[in-house]
Amino acid sequence: MNFLSLINIELNKIRRSKILLILLAPVLIMWFPSIINGEMNFDVRGIPITPENNFFIQGFMGMVWFMIPASLVICTVLLSQTERSNHGMVKMLSLPVNIPKLCLAKFSVLLILSFVQMIITFTAYYLSAFAVTQIYDYNFILEPLYVLKNTVSIYAGAIPMATVFWMISTLIKNPVFSVAIGLASIVPSVLIINTKVWFAYPMSYPFYLLMVEYGKAANGIYSTQIDWIPWLPVAIVITIIALAVSSIGFGATERR
Amino acid sequence: MNIIETQNLTKIYGDFTAVSNLNLHIRKESVYGFLGPNGAGKSTTMKMMLGLTKPTQGTFQIDGKTYPADRVQILKEIGSFIESPAFYGNLTGEENLEIIRKILGLPKDSVNQVLETVDLAPFKKRLAKKYSLGMKQRLGLAGALLGKPPILILDEPTNGLDPVGIHEIRTLIKSLPEQYNCTVLVSSHLLSEVELMADDVGILNHGHLLFEGSMAQLRQKAEEEGFSTDNLEDIFLSMIDEDNRKRGAVK
Amino acid sequence: MTLSLETQKLKRSGYIPTFLFGSLIASAFPIANMLVRSENFVNLPGDPFAILTNTNWQMIAMLNTLIVICGACMMYHAEYADNASQKMDVLPIKGSSIFFGKLAISATALTAMIIIETVVMTWCACHWFPSFQFSGTEFLKSIGFQVIVTLPTVIVMLIIASTCKNMWVSLGIGVILVFTFSIIPQDNTILNLFPFSSPYQTLCTVSGNGKTGIFLSVCLIETVIFALTQIIFQKIRRRSE
Repeated sequence: MNFLSLINIELNKIRRSKILLILLAPVLIMWFPSIINGEMNFDVRGIPITPENNFFIQGFMGMVWFMIPASLVICTVLLSQTERSNHGMVKMLSLPVNIPKLCLAKFSVLLILSFVQMIITFTAYYLSAFAVTQIYDYNFILEPLYVLKNTVSIYAGAIPMATVFWMISTLIKNPVFSVAIGLASIVPSVLIINTKVWFAYPMSYPFYLLMVEYGKAANGIYSTQIDWIPWLPVAIVITIIALAVSSIGFGATERR
Repeated sequence: MNIIETQNLTKIYGDFTAVSNLNLHIRKESVYGFLGPNGAGKSTTMKMMLGLTKPTQGTFQIDGKTYPADRVQILKEIGSFIESPAFYGNLTGEENLEIIRKILGLPKDSVNQVLETVDLAPFKKRLAKKYSLGMKQRLGLAGALLGKPPILILDEPTNGLDPVGIHEIRTLIKSLPEQYNCTVLVSSHLLSEVELMADDVGILNHGHLLFEGSMAQLRQKAEEEGFSTDNLEDIFLSMIDEDNRKRGAVK
Repeated sequence: MTLSLETQKLKRSGYIPTFLFGSLIASAFPIANMLVRSENFVNLPGDPFAILTNTNWQMIAMLNTLIVICGACMMYHAEYADNASQKMDVLPIKGSSIFFGKLAISATALTAMIIIETVVMTWCACHWFPSFQFSGTEFLKSIGFQVIVTLPTVIVMLIIASTCKNMWVSLGIGVILVFTFSIIPQDNTILNLFPFSSPYQTLCTVSGNGKTGIFLSVCLIETVIFALTQIIFQKIRRRSE
């Protein structure tokens, strides 16, 4: 059984699960008000930032701080619940598949879903930027390359966090409890982002990346340089540990 | 020749012994009826064979292979129906089987074939969570039969079926060794049912094997102990009863 | 009787651990904040407790709301997951008593959570601010205020959870509401009186503006109105099902 067809099978399993709605709703909620409140972007409150950059940063801020992590939490738990609700997992375990491979295939589905959400976000940004440009007769549209670069880096920054949420959902059987832990872990990222130990907290990575971008667009708001060391090694270690633990824990309760 | 053998297979959960020193011998291309009241340890034994739970002690071989070293190899040979219902509620019956088919790497038409076998073909486009209990049961059976595996492990396959369905499934199980050259291990809590399907029978109570042998041997035993051979249910009940009494005395 | 029954239903559901976990995390905010950058706060003018609430309550309130949402979903998930609610419907008890039993438990759990958080903040004030004078009445007033402004959120969330049989739907609605109201500006009194927005208010800010009375009375009225809505709603649903 090769890995790609396993992913294909896992994608099949989420048919009719309305998971795409879960990905779409937060994006709409983020960008629709930002069109309505478009004029607030001209009121920069003394921060040296252009309205178009302000629009971009404020819009993405809600995404990186809360909406992307929250969608990841809900998607991970939903993915593991499809296995548990009708004992689908038991059937899987009694079929000739390698369990860690199955776990990784499921995790890949999560990454694909998150990627889809980034595409939706990217599109939503341009649609709403276009709308406010029309309304206020001021060019809010940033260069596609710049927006794309940021979207991709935010996506990459969200991967370690996704692995941690994935680990939580494989280890904790109670769906609401694991959602509670996931959601609760998002809240402090706004605090941790301003401390020296932000790199140890995966939930703050996408937020950090956007803050650096904010710092570049508005002088003095935040650091303008990404601290690759110690961030990168720490992030890689966290990712590997989380994936290893979830591969071991995957289906463990069904194999008691 | 035995295709499945267990040696002193034991499973203990905390302070509860689910299965105790089980020595089973299942002949190739036979139907083996695994009999016992609810909670006797039938499902636990089957789960151990499928690697769904680890034995506390003892070993077993399936077609000469052992768990966990040959886990994937063993599972390739076994079609199983355990812990029903086990399916994805958001998928149709057909899509559920499609997933299993892909994992087993079978040809496309095998799904339709097996849907015909269990009489689910008219309902294959319906969501599995909308199935009735009997249909869920049939779906589970279809998942086990898919690809005509050489070994079938079926845990109370007739549960929840109507009398017509029960009859059909029994006939099907009985015909399987001849049709597909496969071995069937089927559990039940009704001796009358096992009697109709099985060549050999193993009787389990509180994790202990009380009897193992062919149906003929069981009949002989019944005769020796003065039970009527027309109704084997009596000897089954008396064996269980006696065992329970012994246990009570020990306690 | 309903209360003990409802409590029993929560056994092994992870309900109490969730609230405990929530209050521990929430309590960690002020401590962590003071440990890491106490120099930013100790020299600020004003009441130490007010400084601590101003810097931490936004996060604590958000966490409380999230935990309240999860709690409501847990309670009704237990009812709907294995069709237990169907059994409840054919037993000689009132549907509304189940709801109010759950409401009482949620309110108690919320109060416990807020007490733990306030105790920890008071401890922080004692530990880091030498000028801090502990006052029992202020302590109780603060707890009472925070509980009352969070009550409408609790009851609305319970209504949502009891309406949607699929737990994920209610959870999703709850999370989206939290987020939508968390970005509302803090200076709009009318919007701030809404459920999901009122928990972010703190006693020190509100009393500074002289709006304590408005917040307390409106939140209590909201709670009563939502309770009545639930009763009417349940009657309609019984009839239509």
